[in-house]
Amino acid sequence: MEPVVQFDNVNKSYGKHVAVDNLNLSIEPGKFVTLLGPSGCGKSTSLRMLGGFETPTSGRIMLSGKDVTRVPPNKRNVNIVFQDYALFPHMSVAKNIAFGLELKGFDNQRIHRRVSELLELVQLQDYATRLPAELSGGQRQRVALMRALAPDPDVLLLDEPLSALDAKLRQQMQIELKAIQEKTGKTFMFVTHDQEEALTMSDTIVVMNKGRIEQMGDPNTLYGRPGSVFVANFIGETNLLRSTVISSEGDVAALNWNGITITANPGGLTPRHGEHLYVVLRPEAIHCSAAEPVSGNRVKGKIRQRVFKGNHTSLMVEVGGGALLNTLVHPSDVAQLGGEDIWLGWKPETTTVIPDRHAHN
Amino acid sequence: MRNTVSDGPRTTLTAFYWAFILYLLLPLTLMMAMSFKDANFVAFPIGDWTLDWYAKVMQDKQFLEACLYSIMIAAASTLAATTLGTWIAMLIVADGIRGRTIIFALACLPAVVPGMISAISLRIFISTIDMPTGTAAIILGHTVHAVPFVVVMALTRLRSMPRNLVDAARDLGADGVVAFFRVTLPYLGPALLGGMIFCVLLSIDDFVRTFFLGGYRPTLPMLIFAKVQGGMSPEINAMATIVLVVTAAVGLYAEFITRRARTR
Repeated sequence: MEPVVQFDNVNKSYGKHVAVDNLNLSIEPGKFVTLLGPSGCGKSTSLRMLGGFETPTSGRIMLSGKDVTRVPPNKRNVNIVFQDYALFPHMSVAKNIAFGLELKGFDNQRIHRRVSELLELVQLQDYATRLPAELSGGQRQRVALMRALAPDPDVLLLDEPLSALDAKLRQQMQIELKAIQEKTGKTFMFVTHDQEEALTMSDTIVVMNKGRIEQMGDPNTLYGRPGSVFVANFIGETNLLRSTVISSEGDVAALNWNGITITANPGGLTPRHGEHLYVVLRPEAIHCSAAEPVSGNRVKGKIRQRVFKGNHTSLMVEVGGGALLNTLVHPSDVAQLGGEDIWLGWKPETTTVIPDRHAHN
Repeated sequence: MRNTVSDGPRTTLTAFYWAFILYLLLPLTLMMAMSFKDANFVAFPIGDWTLDWYAKVMQDKQFLEACLYSIMIAAASTLAATTLGTWIAMLIVADGIRGRTIIFALACLPAVVPGMISAISLRIFISTIDMPTGTAAIILGHTVHAVPFVVVMALTRLRSMPRNLVDAARDLGADGVVAFFRVTLPYLGPALLGGMIFCVLLSIDDFVRTFFLGGYRPTLPMLIFAKVQGGMSPEINAMATIVLVVTAAVGLYAEFITRRARTR
């Protein structure tokens, strides 16, 4: 399918500071794509360049097959949901939503129909005549979303729109956003620094760091098979085991980590003896038990810290040499562990191996 | 017991406060009281009361004409000052403008220059460009004087305006002009209305600039001045009372509007 958005070698720098470094990205229509990264990684700049509020220093941006690199914001068919919503304070909810439609030259009847249709989509029919100041945060969020959707943009851009909401409302809005995206079939390009938001809603996550794409893929792949230390650390909680290669044959590599021998699948890598590797071990992949596991990687340890988190308990286990492993245990299983001395075991296939050369971050 | 110590300064402060209020209001009260006196001389005792002076003022053609003239000048200079002031404020907050401090300082200068100096320099200026004294010159002078107040009020409001508001309008298809008239201007609305009322009051009240720039047609302050020259009469008191009540009402309303704008 022809991509709806395409960044070709896009660069953006402010003086000496490089905000976006040779970005190449194409987005298929109808997808929920998230640009994820820490602040200053270039995600918002990329979004603003697509919106027309920044001009790339070099490169080309295509929208629905047309070059829009230098087209002003009012002449391109994308709309933004701003972080602070930017609702017009002197206009009613209905007027806010109608704004883009009026500028498109639609007749009153058509505008009215479209506005009611959109208000119905988010169940705000009864609020049409209210001013933005009279709405709650969640309602303002929905109005901003509908205002941006009203003119039927090729892509809807969302610039950290949930960051102003409290935790509970944010979770609710995540589900609602995804539902609206599926219902309307629109392409959503969402920018956030919150990995949980990205995992919940996205079809594709683009992890950005220092102006470049670090890794791109669906949430499962990014979480389960991170391609770099940065991604492994940024998405979810993780244990990074820096190991030395003892031997490697096909799918099995024997590694020395912290004085013990563990095995892992090196994936596509062909590590040599003595080379350093990182093994990504997610806390939930570790099985804690009182007795020594019969197979897989295992290590004896001592519980140093317990943090009760409701649906699970987080254990910090010291495994010798000062190394700590972060693990998750179901609260009811904690008692069965007996004492402080426990065994940790994990299956080699649950880990991912990352070469050390990517570890410069 | 403890209060005897702290009450001393407090009582003094309260006393000074009331003394100051009295000092502020006494001349105005006297003026208003005299406008109801049924005699030709402005002096105590008042004796009989009457509304005749007001009836006389309302039939005074000179007074009504001066009022109309003052209002016309106020309207014209307010319109000009608001347009100019808004434009300057927009310029100051615009991206990539260099020397915004200088622009701001220049725009505010007429508010701090003594009225006398400002009047003389304006008079010199109009004779240099061969502009006759009269209506146009007065409007010019009043406009220059009023611009700083509009700039300050518009700037305060503009600075509290979310940056993204104009971006959102542009994003939804508005060009710069449409975004200004449909988003920025309505947002500035309350502040501009307050500023405009302020301009009107400044213009109606102005004497020095009008005196230096005016022709033969008197504005309201000039008419009252001329009448005072010819001797005090309760008719002048009635005139001044009318002006006082009207301007105070308008001023209070302006204050109310700007207050609402600040809290919204």
